[in-house]
Amino acid sequence: MTANPPTTRRVAVVTALTLVGLVVAVVGGLVIGPTSIGATRVVGDVMSRVGLGHSTLTSLQSTIIWQLRAPRMVLGLLAGSMLAVAGGTYQGVFRNPLADPYLLGVAAGAGLGATFAIVQVRDGLSTPTWTPLLAFVGAIAAVTVTWLVGGRGLYSNAATLILAGVAVSALLTSVQTYLQQSSLGSMTRVYIWLLGSLASASWSSVDLVAPYVAICIIVCVLAGRALDVMSVGEDESRSLGLPVRRVRLIVIIASSLGTAAIVSVAGLIGFVGIIVPHIVRLLVGTSYRRILPISVIFGAGFMVFADTIARTVLAPSELPLGVVTALVGAPVFVVILSLRRRSAL
Amino acid sequence: MNSVEIRGLSVRVGAKTLVDGVSLDVDAGTWCTVIGPNGAGKTSLVEVVAGIRPASEGSVLISGRPIARMSERERARSVALVPQHPTVPSGMSVYDYVALGRTAYHGLFRSAGEGDRRVVESVLERLSLAEFRERDVATLSGGERQRMVLGRALAQSTTVIVLDEPITGLDLRHQMELLELLKKEVLECGLTLVATLHDLTLAGQFADRLVLLDRGRVVLDAPAGVVVRSEELAQTYGMRLRVVDVEGSDVVVPVRN
Repeated sequence: MTANPPTTRRVAVVTALTLVGLVVAVVGGLVIGPTSIGATRVVGDVMSRVGLGHSTLTSLQSTIIWQLRAPRMVLGLLAGSMLAVAGGTYQGVFRNPLADPYLLGVAAGAGLGATFAIVQVRDGLSTPTWTPLLAFVGAIAAVTVTWLVGGRGLYSNAATLILAGVAVSALLTSVQTYLQQSSLGSMTRVYIWLLGSLASASWSSVDLVAPYVAICIIVCVLAGRALDVMSVGEDESRSLGLPVRRVRLIVIIASSLGTAAIVSVAGLIGFVGIIVPHIVRLLVGTSYRRILPISVIFGAGFMVFADTIARTVLAPSELPLGVVTALVGAPVFVVILSLRRRSAL
Repeated sequence: MNSVEIRGLSVRVGAKTLVDGVSLDVDAGTWCTVIGPNGAGKTSLVEVVAGIRPASEGSVLISGRPIARMSERERARSVALVPQHPTVPSGMSVYDYVALGRTAYHGLFRSAGEGDRRVVESVLERLSLAEFRERDVATLSGGERQRMVLGRALAQSTTVIVLDEPITGLDLRHQMELLELLKKEVLECGLTLVATLHDLTLAGQFADRLVLLDRGRVVLDAPAGVVVRSEELAQTYGMRLRVVDVEGSDVVVPVRN
């Protein structure tokens, strides 16, 4: 480690570079695809919509940009920022570097709900409607059960809640696996959902989750100061005047609701929630007041970048998004880690 | 006026009684140190006074108000804690660590104000920590680190500070420096200190009053000079002790059997 925490200038530089990366990812997400549309023409179209100049896009190109790529890109921004900030807050509130947004059972609950919806299609349920709904209900129900089993945060410490999450996840995953195995015809669709994808993104799915996700992200970012206090442990935080149980409850509600909303429309996208906060921590230090807002930007750009790869590398087929986030994220993390070690020597 | 009042306090964990019906008063602007052998209940007692452990029976009042009825924020504005093994989060600057002491003065989601910053700056100056303000807390020496933890407690601007073995792990010079700093705060700022210490000589030299604890009960509660020269002290520790006067200060020396 370096002798001093990162300076304000360093944090400003990292923030600026992350913002540049986000803009590049957004433009790339709009212009890259099987149908080649130049960046300048896309930018010209955006400008024409605010009354500056005129668009040179054909109506088909406009539809591809604004009805296919744009909602997918916006959902990617929401998913990346929500999962990254939720992972960061969980790592802070549980003081556990291995924490991710799925820690308290969101993934297992959502997986069970979605599998139930997909498997029950033959009984007349409509998959596009029911899968996100039951995934959301399953995720929230799982976290609620974990909270209750883990002692409601009243007489328990963070470790008890984590263990409750492990137990609840194991139980729900076993039921989900049984459901999946019992309906071999639906197995591929279940499997694809479990690996996460933004392929079904539309403006309606963006409208559905955006308000909840935006509020949850704001709450998580604002919790950064409280999480910095919690870095000295629960007893010391309480002696400093922090209402630890209330903070934990607020953070768990915001992270779980936001993650459940994202999972309901994008499936289980792994790796982002655990790796992005760690990458940001390596760049700007250990303060959650810095980690969380920069994770929001970094996570958003990272997800759009990964999705662009996922939908173009094997076009017209798609790679599972969870596979790409791990394939891209792991080397990035290793490179930053080795650079930091070298600079500390 | 009593700053800390402890009334019939008991702490139990399962079937084991750690503190058994302790009652004592600590006057405002004085230093009271709890001594006793390992397992006497010293840490449990001061943790209840600091409000981080609930009492099984009895009550603790800070400036006349029951601590059990205070919110976390109210309590943190009344009593601060210097724990025996403070958590020092690597990567945090000394300034930010001391500023944690202002947590109770701003809201859950609000930033520190100008008043908070002034308090932190003043504490850094008083404890000669200003030159380390940007340093990573993990790079400090033991003595500097313990001063910083005291700084966090002072930044809470309380009238009472509870210290659980504050000189553990420090060399002799740094032990004396820290205790002198604390004495100065008591004399100049009217702070009330409730501490635990294992070193009987230092406990006797710095505290106004010593409370000798054994198996959760108060054996003797008297001025420091009286307790260090008492029969009860040797009996409680189960060994022979001699008290030697060195330039007007009592030095407690264990004697081999």
